Amino acid sequence: MITLENVSFAYADQGPSVQDVSFRLEKGEFAAILGANGAGKTTTVRLMDGLLKPTSGRVLINDMDTVKSQVSERARKVGFLFQNPDRQICKNTVREEILFGLRTVRGDEGEEALQARTDEVLKDFHFTGDEEPFSLSRGQRQRVALASILAVEPEILILDEPTTGLDYLECCHIMDRIRKMNEEKQVTVIMVCHDMEVVLDYARRALVMAGGRLLADGPVKEIFRNTELMEKASILPPQMIGLGLRLGDGFENADTPEGMAEAVMARRGKGGAGA
Amino acid sequence: MICFKDLSFTYKGEKAPALSEINLTVEDGGFLGIIGPAGAGKTTLARAITGMIPHHYTGDFYGSVAVNGLDTVDTSIDEISRMVGMVFQDVESQIISPLVEDEILYGLENFGVPREEIPQRMAEALQKVGIADLQERSIASLSGGQRQKVAIASIIALKPQVLVLDEPTGELDPRSSRQIFSLLKELNEEQGITVILIEQKIMLLCEFAKQLAVVSGGKIIRQGNTRDVLAHADELQALGVNCPRVTTLSRMLSEKTGAAQPVCINLEEAEKMVRRLIG
Amino acid sequence: MNNLFQYVPGKSVIHRMNPITKLLITIVICVAAFLSDRLLFLAGLLAVDLLIGVIGGVANRTWQIFRGLLKIAIFLFLLQVLLTRKGTPVFWIITDQGLLTAGKVVLRLVVVCMPLALMLAVTRISDLTNALVQVLHVPYQYAFTLSTAIRFIPQFMEEMSGIMEAQTARGVAFDKARGLKKFSMILPLCAPLLISSVRRTDQTAAAAEVRGFRLRTRQSGYKRYPFTGVDFGAFVFCGALLAAAIIL
Repeated sequence: MITLENVSFAYADQGPSVQDVSFRLEKGEFAAILGANGAGKTTTVRLMDGLLKPTSGRVLINDMDTVKSQVSERARKVGFLFQNPDRQICKNTVREEILFGLRTVRGDEGEEALQARTDEVLKDFHFTGDEEPFSLSRGQRQRVALASILAVEPEILILDEPTTGLDYLECCHIMDRIRKMNEEKQVTVIMVCHDMEVVLDYARRALVMAGGRLLADGPVKEIFRNTELMEKASILPPQMIGLGLRLGDGFENADTPEGMAEAVMARRGKGGAGA
Repeated sequence: MICFKDLSFTYKGEKAPALSEINLTVEDGGFLGIIGPAGAGKTTLARAITGMIPHHYTGDFYGSVAVNGLDTVDTSIDEISRMVGMVFQDVESQIISPLVEDEILYGLENFGVPREEIPQRMAEALQKVGIADLQERSIASLSGGQRQKVAIASIIALKPQVLVLDEPTGELDPRSSRQIFSLLKELNEEQGITVILIEQKIMLLCEFAKQLAVVSGGKIIRQGNTRDVLAHADELQALGVNCPRVTTLSRMLSEKTGAAQPVCINLEEAEKMVRRLIG
Repeated sequence: MNNLFQYVPGKSVIHRMNPITKLLITIVICVAAFLSDRLLFLAGLLAVDLLIGVIGGVANRTWQIFRGLLKIAIFLFLLQVLLTRKGTPVFWIITDQGLLTAGKVVLRLVVVCMPLALMLAVTRISDLTNALVQVLHVPYQYAFTLSTAIRFIPQFMEEMSGIMEAQTARGVAFDKARGLKKFSMILPLCAPLLISSVRRTDQTAAAAEVRGFRLRTRQSGYKRYPFTGVDFGAFVFCGALLAAAIIL
């Protein structure tokens, strides 16, 4: 689990970009950080992995202060998927890429075990292993990056806009895989994401940021239904929630097209209106 | 007017064609949204309009593309660029200057915009995109979203007749994206600029584009008025193209009620539809 | 490091100078440094460098550049001192001539590098390229290549630090390594960096092309670059500096 205690951060020559943020993420949670450009989301997730050190306050990963150990030492526990997979991929084949990540943080397990683990991951992600990452599409490269991170089986997964530049199917591939890890292996997930439909579909908890401060923290659907909060954070809620709020009158509980359609049909049944 | 006739194109050194037998017409003052999965050929389509294909990127080129009646094969990029402005997908490589101001100036200088007009054009472009306060800043000090806005402003300043944008809002949050879409709509409606917009953000695209073209595997699978294209939601989904959820709702309600419901593209329409259904 | 080559806005005398004049000063200082063989004169040139930085209102940057160069200078100095065999020994294997030659080499290096970096701090690249084209009639293609190369420096740095961050996060111990070790870790990452840079350069060329790159003429620049009193003053200074270098 990760704990932020009154964390503030300011880049050199600039005003504070994160101010007095506190929250605690328990094992197995799936949280999303929401907010407009410049709200401090990316800075916050970078602080969570210790890629940035807080100017004041503390960040604890499993009760260990991030300033007391190096980022690279934590890679076994914390996986970080960046927006741009090309900064991560450095090997010529997918197999080597996955092996590279494993050797770096699980080198002590012996080559045989790592090869076996690689085979397992390749199969899981439907790669042959001989693909050359740089000739794959952006979405495929993002999958390679994700595969090599999940291969080491981290306890915590941090995602910084993992679906930017991906098409719908690629986005679903990535997010479904992450959900599977979250549900089956209790991996704690925290992500920054601009697509509110994706947030609604996958995350259970939402942290809302604006101007470097944490405005709200709660269950995703509750957060999206807080019109005043959404306005303040410059967020447009997902369509079905927006529609439910417009309709009111019991419809605000629907959050998917299926749910909304059912609610409409149920009302028609009661009211006795004909087709 | 932009007119594709049986265009097929294969990049030099590649085996599979990037585009095959494209037939597409965009009228003056049109607002065309292009959507499709990754690698479908959307960017190649944009390059064909600007003349980068076949002039900058060479390969096997069959058929023709005409911009305002001029065949792009016989017309130089310079001549085409006076009519067509393009915003690239990769912002980083599009920006040439180290400073915001210089980036906006660049095209204006090249196209020989009269000196006395330049300050006004620059101020207007920056203000429209909402970054007037960034004029003096260095590009390196800007966030990805801000850089994207600079790239858009630098093209808008040129006042092209046709604006081609390749996923111009990738780095932007939903509110900024909506702002850019609204700006495009304004340019389209008030100044009659033809807009061709490649975008993954289907919800916004459907709300703003008058026409849609769905591209997959180098072919245009479907094209027409936005609503007509969205009526084939099942087909789109099979190709891996998402639909706005309000559209999915109208399709589901059509099935459940057994009566065709209107294809909704925004919340207002969806609300109206539901209210009518529940009486 | 990231912003070592970036322009610092300002209104100082140096900022207002014609970019060509600034280029001339830079060249004159370099030439002077190679013409003169006297330690004292070289030290004087260093003082001129620092003074330019202070007048230009970029004292901080000047200090940063100086400090950066100092590291390389010390390394070179030691190398030179240890390798020179001529002259009378001062102590151990170090000779008086070794010290003198090393001092001159190092001083020359610092004197030559400083004005180049300083010029970038007080001159907009666009002004430099436009002035080169307008005043010196340099073909625009060459000027553009120069400006793009300089524009790429911060971009390259940004990409490099992004790559290192991503690798650190997956366990590559960049945050623990130092010196040569770190360098050897960076090396394998250069391939992806180069691939993306080449791809990017090609796209930049395309982007410039669709914004009228080929339409640009000598007169296209929005700003004009006439020489003013400040520039003529600088010319006199340059002349004096060259004369001093030859005489002394």
